[in-house]
Amino acid sequence: MLSPDLVETLLRQALKGGADFAEIYAERSRRRRMIVRSGRLEEAISGLDYGAGIRLFFGTEVVYAYTNQLTREGLLEALETLLRAKGALGQVDERGAGGLDFRKALPKGLHTPRTSYGEKDKRYRLERLLEAEAGARMAPEIRQVEASLQEWEQEVLIANTEGTWAEEKRVRTRLFVLAVAQDGTEVQTGYAAPGKSVGLELFDLFPPKEVGAKAARQALTNLRAKPAPAGTMPVVVGNAFGGVIFHEALGHLLETTSVAKKASVLADKLGEEVASPAVTYIDDGTLPHAWGSTEVDDEGRPTERTVLIERGVLKSYMVDRLGHLLTGYPMTGSGRRQDYTFAPTSRMRNTFIAPGDKEVEDLITSVEFGLYAKELGGGQVKPGSGEYNFAVQEGYIIRHGRLEEPVRGAMLVGKGPETIRKVVAVAGDWENAPGMCGSLSGMVPVEVGQPHVLVSEIVVGGRA
Amino acid sequence: MTLEEAKRYLLRRARELGLQAEVLFQEERELSLRARQGTLEEIKEARQGGIGLRVVVQGHVGYAYTEELSPEALEWALSEARDNALLADKEGFIPLGQALGSHDLLGEGLSAPLETKKQSALELERALRDDPRTRSVLMGGYMEKEVRVALSSTLGAEGAFRTGLAGMGGSLVMGDGPSLKQGWDFKLAKEFHLLDPGRTALEIREKTARHLNARPLPTGRYRAYLEPKAMAGLLLVLSRSLSAKSALEGKSRLLNRLGERIASEWVTLVDDPTLEKGLLSRPFDAEGTPAQRTVVVEKGIFKTFLHNAETARALGQENTGHAFRTYRGILDVAPTNLFLEPVGNLRLEKGVLITEFMGLHAGANPVSLDFSLQALGLWVEEGEVRYAVENFAVAGNLLDLLQAIEAVGDELDWEVMGSAFGSPLVAVAELSFAGA
Repeated sequence: MLSPDLVETLLRQALKGGADFAEIYAERSRRRRMIVRSGRLEEAISGLDYGAGIRLFFGTEVVYAYTNQLTREGLLEALETLLRAKGALGQVDERGAGGLDFRKALPKGLHTPRTSYGEKDKRYRLERLLEAEAGARMAPEIRQVEASLQEWEQEVLIANTEGTWAEEKRVRTRLFVLAVAQDGTEVQTGYAAPGKSVGLELFDLFPPKEVGAKAARQALTNLRAKPAPAGTMPVVVGNAFGGVIFHEALGHLLETTSVAKKASVLADKLGEEVASPAVTYIDDGTLPHAWGSTEVDDEGRPTERTVLIERGVLKSYMVDRLGHLLTGYPMTGSGRRQDYTFAPTSRMRNTFIAPGDKEVEDLITSVEFGLYAKELGGGQVKPGSGEYNFAVQEGYIIRHGRLEEPVRGAMLVGKGPETIRKVVAVAGDWENAPGMCGSLSGMVPVEVGQPHVLVSEIVVGGRA
Repeated sequence: MTLEEAKRYLLRRARELGLQAEVLFQEERELSLRARQGTLEEIKEARQGGIGLRVVVQGHVGYAYTEELSPEALEWALSEARDNALLADKEGFIPLGQALGSHDLLGEGLSAPLETKKQSALELERALRDDPRTRSVLMGGYMEKEVRVALSSTLGAEGAFRTGLAGMGGSLVMGDGPSLKQGWDFKLAKEFHLLDPGRTALEIREKTARHLNARPLPTGRYRAYLEPKAMAGLLLVLSRSLSAKSALEGKSRLLNRLGERIASEWVTLVDDPTLEKGLLSRPFDAEGTPAQRTVVVEKGIFKTFLHNAETARALGQENTGHAFRTYRGILDVAPTNLFLEPVGNLRLEKGVLITEFMGLHAGANPVSLDFSLQALGLWVEEGEVRYAVENFAVAGNLLDLLQAIEAVGDELDWEVMGSAFGSPLVAVAELSFAGA
């Protein structure tokens, strides 16, 4: 995208202006989205994102600029704007005089797609979406189905004044199915959305018909569900996307983005027991083809597998470059950003609770009265207080150790550091699921995951 | 190529290829200044622009966009848009256009010197720290955005406008003993000089500190008072159901309910893109339909969906001029400045004052309109706030809530979440609370 010569000129110019560190991030992304409703393609859009971000450190003060003008003039102008904003334009620092020797890291192709986008035409994609819709049309109550495909092919180049030169092509594909079920005036929805760092082999990994059926079954279940009971009770949280609870309630509290500012209730707690001993919590950016995996992070460092909590004891935070400067903790390859319009911050990649030794049945049978939160929707957390909330997309009552009727409209509410101490049992059926996570550096693809876990008590918001 | 050249190139090539085309381009400049512990920890300066293409081939619509303005990238966008249209099966059209003129809705609103803006960001951050209860300030800062939008079509639409916003706010953690609360707020205005760092910081501090030492709220049904910020969140969820596009896609429960009572008599809901100094006012919509004020709900009666030309034709109703599209997106419908009209019959008595809903994207279903939301609140008795309450969720259905509105305050406050949502304080007869 950019020549080493131009990149070197920019980086040296930044050092001359007094910056302690400079980084260029350039990106070209092709995106496609196709949406099928009622058996026909309703909307299709293709797009090309193209831009670059320049980040400079003056001590721990950061200046960031981005532009779509990836010409020599465009980039130099962006850089000058930054130096002017910093009052450093026209300075000459001797550090800009020497040459830069880039260490080029070649991509290993760990997540290279098997079926590239070019191999199949748009008609092929449309047929798969129609299969997904057909899979969802399983009952007369299913009134509306929306199936969409999202393709994202992102080429990045990251170079910095320490000699980093990393290039990577990241390919991600996701299939979404939304089913709307109606009975009289009652309307309920169901949802399924598998996604991976793969090409069109996604359709082999997740047959569209089954994805459609999964969304429809959930909508139908919710249609016959009663309002969830309200109150404090034990909750068995389902595997895979169930992990969003600890993504929100624990993961965000371990990013240096909040830890460095002492804005996380888990700051300064390394080596301390912060969770129940049943909990080992891992953030792994290297899982092959996972939705949140990349070979290098958006600061150009190789991604890593980071054990955050081991048997309840806090072992590591997720650390980006700025977080490292502010805290001294070693970087973990966790610098991420939505695109060139954001400076990176420390973010989760694929974060999950490691499998335990219990059976799922044991978890259920140990509950006298409680909730089985089989599928969760999204949620939110305030790291400063640890308060979180998230929606139960598919839930059932547990009575006398048995799964009974479905309930809907349940919301789990609590404080993360309290909830993580109340995890009393962890099953062995670990799975991950994809999602989009929003924070200071925009929306990034992540996986969340866990086996089934039993939490001794959570506030369940339902109808009082 | 410049955006202007790229626009002319695309329209010329579209005519050569026999395509009807509508070109939307957008240029943005952004400045953000983030302060922490007395220094500017992040300064961001940005320029972004791109061009979005909507074409019609044989009555079907296709889309493409690009931020790269080379001839190759533009040709790629043209061929992708055409392929997308050929594969699409939904009828669509580009409306007959008109000359829309060139408008400036921003003027000199952002023209203060950079140094002054830096000082404001630092002052706000300092003022956030200036409180014994402040445990840490995550950020305090200033941001501004200037946008230029232009629309042209092969059917004669031609217009442009310039607009923008300035904002100031921050995020902090406050504490009293073991009780901790995180607060966040951002004040927006059309002009830099309307922002007041000291007052904004004081408001953020007070709004956060009032939640300290919260008690659990017993599960039960209580009268609820929704502060403007909380109500704005609900209006955002409701706005999806007010979109005729959602209705046509089977995602609105309001379909076939025009002329019916969907809310109490105190509810009049208006969208007005022509509001003077409206945060998201604009002279015309994304299809080039001139802006007009639309009464969506009048004294509880559902008057109209929000429409673009396509949805108005499909439902046989009048176009309200609410076409929405960014250069990166497809044609949609969206409100601009949507607000609940003040009434002035509200007096605080007894119940839970809800200051903010959390997790709206997950806890409120825009199709069924069911919600179950974590909220922050204060217990009110004899018209006065007695103490904060926490760890609870509020559940119900938005349509039931609208019917249960028994009083509406007299002062509008605005929140920008994609569109601008305005509301006074609102009293709801009864809501279901799940807590201790």
